Amino acid sequence: MFEKLEAYLEEISHFLSGRGEREEILSEIRSHILEKATQEHGQVTDASLDKVIAAYGPARRVAEKYLDGRPIIAPAYKRYLFRYTTLLFAVHTLLTVIGVIFKESFILFPFLFMPRLGVIEALMYLPTAFLTDLGVVALVLYFITQSGKDVRLPWPRLGVDLDEVKPPNKNVLLSRIGTAVGAVIMLAFTDFALYLFAKHQTIFFVNLNWNDPRPLFTPEAGQRISLVVIAMFAASTIALLFKLFMRSRWVDIGSGVVSLALIGLLLRQPFENLFAVNIAERFLPKIKFGLRFMLLFIASMVTVKLIKNVVCIGRKKLAK
Amino acid sequence: MEPEIGNFETEMNRGFLQILVLALLEKDMYGYSMVRTIRELGYEVEENTLYPLLRRLEKNGWVRSKWDVSEDRPRKFYAITDEGRTLRTQLLAIWKKQDEILKHLMEEKSHV
Repeated sequence: MFEKLEAYLEEISHFLSGRGEREEILSEIRSHILEKATQEHGQVTDASLDKVIAAYGPARRVAEKYLDGRPIIAPAYKRYLFRYTTLLFAVHTLLTVIGVIFKESFILFPFLFMPRLGVIEALMYLPTAFLTDLGVVALVLYFITQSGKDVRLPWPRLGVDLDEVKPPNKNVLLSRIGTAVGAVIMLAFTDFALYLFAKHQTIFFVNLNWNDPRPLFTPEAGQRISLVVIAMFAASTIALLFKLFMRSRWVDIGSGVVSLALIGLLLRQPFENLFAVNIAERFLPKIKFGLRFMLLFIASMVTVKLIKNVVCIGRKKLAK
Repeated sequence: MEPEIGNFETEMNRGFLQILVLALLEKDMYGYSMVRTIRELGYEVEENTLYPLLRRLEKNGWVRSKWDVSEDRPRKFYAITDEGRTLRTQLLAIWKKQDEILKHLMEEKSHV
């Protein structure tokens, strides 16, 4: 019994798949190493075994040569991994947003259970949802690959094909000037909003007479909504300032997440006793619906952009 | 700058080693004796490459194996099968044709 040899074989065994063949493979390697040690070094000793084992190669490399090398996902299907994950995650995100807004849990049997979530819980839930979607798509592509069949996977030509999304080929200087102008404008908006808020506790008015301003919302609602909107202005300003110095998609992702959280906060506002001005009863439901629809639309736009950025970063990392 | 030959050599060796092994196994041989014979012929083969190759050839029925336990140390002997001989003939024909094409191209080039 040669301990060094058995330890080496044990290590190879660890990396080998297929229990049936394992013993046979190990016996073959054992026989070869002992034969070589005897023939080339006179006898089997720890020193001769060390040399022969070193020449035979690292255990993992040896084991890998016995694997058939079939990929987990065939190269032809790799692009679909992120395509389908994007689609699935977009649906997942949309359902999450709907769940948060309507404060309901629902089931799309047998595919999905959406629990009732708050804004913060939803933000915590989305990364997990992304990983689940990625896993589900990977599993389907794995089974297709292992089946060995030539399956033509569908992909609509409508909409944005993320494969064809390329970095903008604009003049960098012009782009920076645009960002700087945007940052200055947003900074001015944020400052003005803060000034209005400090003076009147709201930034929403029905007239533009600064000597006698009439707020649009009731004091409590006006204060809450104003703070959220100011926070959104500030987040956009900060993102633009960051983009002046770094061209990273992570800045857009951070800005998108903050915007979604703030829109979520707005949507959770009680829409009763909102207005400080007299509005005819029959118009109120329509106005409330319009406000909700507008916020939901903005949230959808932000979500699409957020997913696009996450997928682009993921694709870039995969390509590396 | 000298081109990196490593990967190209590995790819070329893969096909060549299959023909070489099928040619060697006209008489029964065990793994270590094959490594030595190949080395004596002036060619190097990685030991850890030879055994997986023999295994694949055996799975496809082109070689067969048998353990010999009559001596102190058990040895696994390999031999070519009839299907292996047919495959070897076909592979040699391919290799010969490739060789002729390359020779023809090189000769043409040397005349220009």
